[in-house]
Amino acid sequence: MTDAYTLREHTADVAVEARGPTLGACFAAVADGMAAAMCDEIPASGGERFALTARATTKKRLLYDYLDDLIYERDVRGVLPVDNEATVARDGDGWTLDASARGLSLADVAARDLKAVTFSQMQIEERADGWEAYVVFDV
Amino acid sequence: MTTFDAGDVTLSEVEEFVWEIAREDGMNTPARVLASESLLEAIADDDTLRQIRNVTHLPGVVEHALCMPDGHQGYGFPVGGVAAIDAENGCISPGGVGFDINCGVRMVKTNLEYSDITGREEELVDALFDAVPTGLGGGGVVTGDAETMTGALERGLDWAHEAGYATRDDLKHCEDGGYRPDAEPEKVSQKATDRGRNQLGSLGSGNHFLEVQRVTDIYRDDVAATYGLEADQLVVLIHCGSRGLGHQVCSDYLRRIEEEHADFLDDLPDDNLAAAPAGSELAEDYYGAMCAAINFAWVNRQLITHQVRETFADVFDTPWPELGMELLYDVSHNIAKRETHEVEGEEREVFVHRKGATRAFPAGHPEVPTAYRDAGQPVIIPGSMGAGSYVLRGGAESMDRTFGSTAHGAGRLMSRTQAKREYRGEEIRSDLREHEHVYVKAESGATIAEEAPGVYKDVDEVVRVSEALGIGDTVARTFPVLNIKG
Repeated sequence: MTDAYTLREHTADVAVEARGPTLGACFAAVADGMAAAMCDEIPASGGERFALTARATTKKRLLYDYLDDLIYERDVRGVLPVDNEATVARDGDGWTLDASARGLSLADVAARDLKAVTFSQMQIEERADGWEAYVVFDV
Repeated sequence: MTTFDAGDVTLSEVEEFVWEIAREDGMNTPARVLASESLLEAIADDDTLRQIRNVTHLPGVVEHALCMPDGHQGYGFPVGGVAAIDAENGCISPGGVGFDINCGVRMVKTNLEYSDITGREEELVDALFDAVPTGLGGGGVVTGDAETMTGALERGLDWAHEAGYATRDDLKHCEDGGYRPDAEPEKVSQKATDRGRNQLGSLGSGNHFLEVQRVTDIYRDDVAATYGLEADQLVVLIHCGSRGLGHQVCSDYLRRIEEEHADFLDDLPDDNLAAAPAGSELAEDYYGAMCAAINFAWVNRQLITHQVRETFADVFDTPWPELGMELLYDVSHNIAKRETHEVEGEEREVFVHRKGATRAFPAGHPEVPTAYRDAGQPVIIPGSMGAGSYVLRGGAESMDRTFGSTAHGAGRLMSRTQAKREYRGEEIRSDLREHEHVYVKAESGATIAEEAPGVYKDVDEVVRVSEALGIGDTVARTFPVLNIKG
């Protein structure tokens, strides 16, 4: 676990509180927290990086789509997305995301299912030293 | 009148085990929590009470939003939430169903007794673990090519029967016959189909499990005889849902609602209550997709049943029909369905949302299978690895009190993160084996820690309240012999 995210209590589910100097770094930290919620011991190497992009009309929708896409890639590629990197930019009326993750084969890690990202209690806020986000995942 | 104060929520005990949150600004109806004082204290420990109060803000909700005795915090709706919402002027809420559409349980009977397995527990737990895909990335029993996916989504257990994975009796012993005719596979996204393709016939992880159990107690001899249960008999309990396909259907439609009905959401106190107005194109699309995911989940549990039957046949060197491996019942606890209920003296069509709640229709109800019509619908309440499970029957009061519903399990007390701090998977596993003779095998030790018996409420108390209110009557109790999970 790094300083960039913290797993928070939630009775049935799991919540990730994350922070980063930029919005993209904050989003990537949420994604790393999501990976940590699925796997206690993430190998430092292995797997290949893959890229993904998203576009949405609000920051919350963009974060939802990003995490939802990572869960999709996990199931379809059979990999745990770790070491996430992301940049987020304003694009006219919307927001865009360019991201990548290292896809660790699920056969090589002891990982548990995490069903979905939720909008429940989702927060994205700018602070003096960067951005903070709070996301509840359904387990 | 006795009251219970929980922060900004005050409840009044309107009768024994029935606590009411009075209607106030924004609430369309009062909310009710069905609980003993000890359960209510646990329920009040997280955000459950605020969440059930929020549910009453949904347009068209009738009579009361209800929290079952095993309720705990969810997202939007609490887990253990029941709400009937007018199907003409109200709405349908994906958050009121949950991500795991048609998560549910089924019980398969055997004619074996506990003594038949004593000394062979490890052999059977290993064989079942090999035969039933668990955890993340473990694949499924079949690979979902286009024809298979369409068949499963469109026709549920009818497809499974045609493909040789189910008997006609299996269909008769499943809620809705294992088939929702309202299913519209074309409303299920490609993304959802892709996720489900490699998971058809898999347990997943989290609180899902497969357990061989023995019947330890019979509470109603006549009903137990109708269900084919007797003391010391071995049964198999399977708990899982629609896997990634159902999760994606829910995610897709929450997202669409968030985008297309933002005005509707603005009036609701929680984004995850997201609902589509009844009659809207989005509501119809969601209902069609959800029904397809319901069918998929029934096929998922059926394929696991097929593997269990074949495994028992191998281990006991006897064809499974000779082992009496008939399905007792399969019931959902994450679902919304158009049902007709009496509301304020009139028959009304409502979307009954049961999120972490089980349908519990009483004796005589036309939707109870013929074989159980005089006894009442079987209700299966899974407990923790250390506490056992219950078979109930739908109670005589369930239609009046809870739109034909009761609890769905023990309900969590402790978060997963706290559970991992307090328990170690290997210690739990050893403890269960040495002291309770329960053999546990899991993909991940962390899952065992997260699902340790101590993280759940007292299932005995949940069932006691259900019985006292007449919404679900105890028939039998079972205790685990072996358990596999992801």
